Amino acid sequence: MRWVRDAVVLLVALVLQSTVLHRIEIAGARPDLLVAYVVYIAWMRGPVVGTVVGFGVGLIQDLDASVPLGLNALAKSIVGFLVAKAGFGVHRANAGVRFAFFFIAMLVHDVIYYAVATDGDLVAFGKQMVLTAVPSALYTGVVVVILLGIVETFSRRPLLADEV
Amino acid sequence: MLRYLFVRRTDWTVLVIACTLSLSMMLLEARMQARVAWFLQHTLLAPFEYAVGWVDQSVGVFWENHQLRSRLTQLQIESDALQAERIENVRLRRLLHLEERHPYDLVAASVVARSLDRLGGSLTIDKGTADGVEPGRAVLTPDGLVGRAERSTPHETRVLTLLNRDCAVAARIERTRVDGVLEWEFGSQPVLNLRYISSQEDVQVGDRVVTSGLGGIFPAGIRIGTVAKVALDPNGLMKEIVINPAVDFRSVEEILVYTPSDLRGTAPADLFLEEPKPVLTPADSMSADSGAVRPVPTAKAVAATAQPKEGAAPDKVVR
Repeated sequence: MRWVRDAVVLLVALVLQSTVLHRIEIAGARPDLLVAYVVYIAWMRGPVVGTVVGFGVGLIQDLDASVPLGLNALAKSIVGFLVAKAGFGVHRANAGVRFAFFFIAMLVHDVIYYAVATDGDLVAFGKQMVLTAVPSALYTGVVVVILLGIVETFSRRPLLADEV
Repeated sequence: MLRYLFVRRTDWTVLVIACTLSLSMMLLEARMQARVAWFLQHTLLAPFEYAVGWVDQSVGVFWENHQLRSRLTQLQIESDALQAERIENVRLRRLLHLEERHPYDLVAASVVARSLDRLGGSLTIDKGTADGVEPGRAVLTPDGLVGRAERSTPHETRVLTLLNRDCAVAARIERTRVDGVLEWEFGSQPVLNLRYISSQEDVQVGDRVVTSGLGGIFPAGIRIGTVAKVALDPNGLMKEIVINPAVDFRSVEEILVYTPSDLRGTAPADLFLEEPKPVLTPADSMSADSGAVRPVPTAKAVAATAQPKEGAAPDKVVR
């Protein structure tokens, strides 16, 4: 049942990412729900599922991208793996911890992404990190923490529960 | 060994496999990447694209309706003003012995979905074959060229922007008429490179770049951008020219699809911002100097009021 729920959440994230989120863009920064989804799944389901889902979601993005096929898949696979490894045993219900995880995961993703996308151009890489990656990571962290809070309030159960 | 890898070290094994697959795809040739992407897109992404279309048809309409109501009021006011100006324009053209502009069809469409990737590369618009939008049509805004329609369903079309690796454009330096090919270069974005221009050619920073029409897809004369940087390639044989696109691809919301009867025709000169100055005969200049000549309607105005007219002459302001 949870797989069905995860698939539905992924579909919703994909649709929102491509249709709605550009409307709430602030100075070029917009939330990245797909990275957030990979972080969420990796955190809840562990490194194997996190890596596989990261690869799959990244590949879907790559099919519609200007960058080389496989770049998003690579970045999200690594993020999924690292989040699952680092997130084991932390206090997931805490909003601050959640924000920190989503923020850092976004930054790690963007470091890999822009390192390849800018083709070794350090100036362009620095520019992208400062102007796009950091604001987007902050934005994503805030939006996802708020979204999780809203959903948990209505569903009356934690989406990111602590390890039992 | 395999048992150790897949049972005791499953997580690391999966990571290595995922990274290896990703890197293998990245190392494929661009043409091969495009083939693999095309195949997967038509299998993996088909349900997602259907979902996007469904959302657009149902939920998206509510959002759009709100915006359209306010826009309709504004456009109604503009329309009334333009109608009056058009009548005046016709009268003044007759006075100056100018010919009517040639006809062209522009299908207005809204962007309903964007590329999932950070750097963009494609858009989905809400018009399709039922509205006359077919694959290969040039897609533009009043600012300039956006890209080309890649594939269409009856009510939706996927547009490849200039920032897509599969969208190359035959382009020309407007001042010197030097032809080249415009391609998005994988690197710092948004950077478009004008390639295949000899080091001997005259290209300067600030030169305007327009479509040349040589590719057979884009009509000639559509503004693409301006030259931002000119350098020589390491061999010294060709120029490396970086173009600043005229269109902000991140914020484009309403676009126009160019649907001429002849794709090799010339784009209307008044479609792209510059208002062509009528060349007047000495006899006419008296009346022009007196302030009777009004500027030619801008792109939006022309798009809003253009009426196809049979047998009109192509793209000459004055005869």
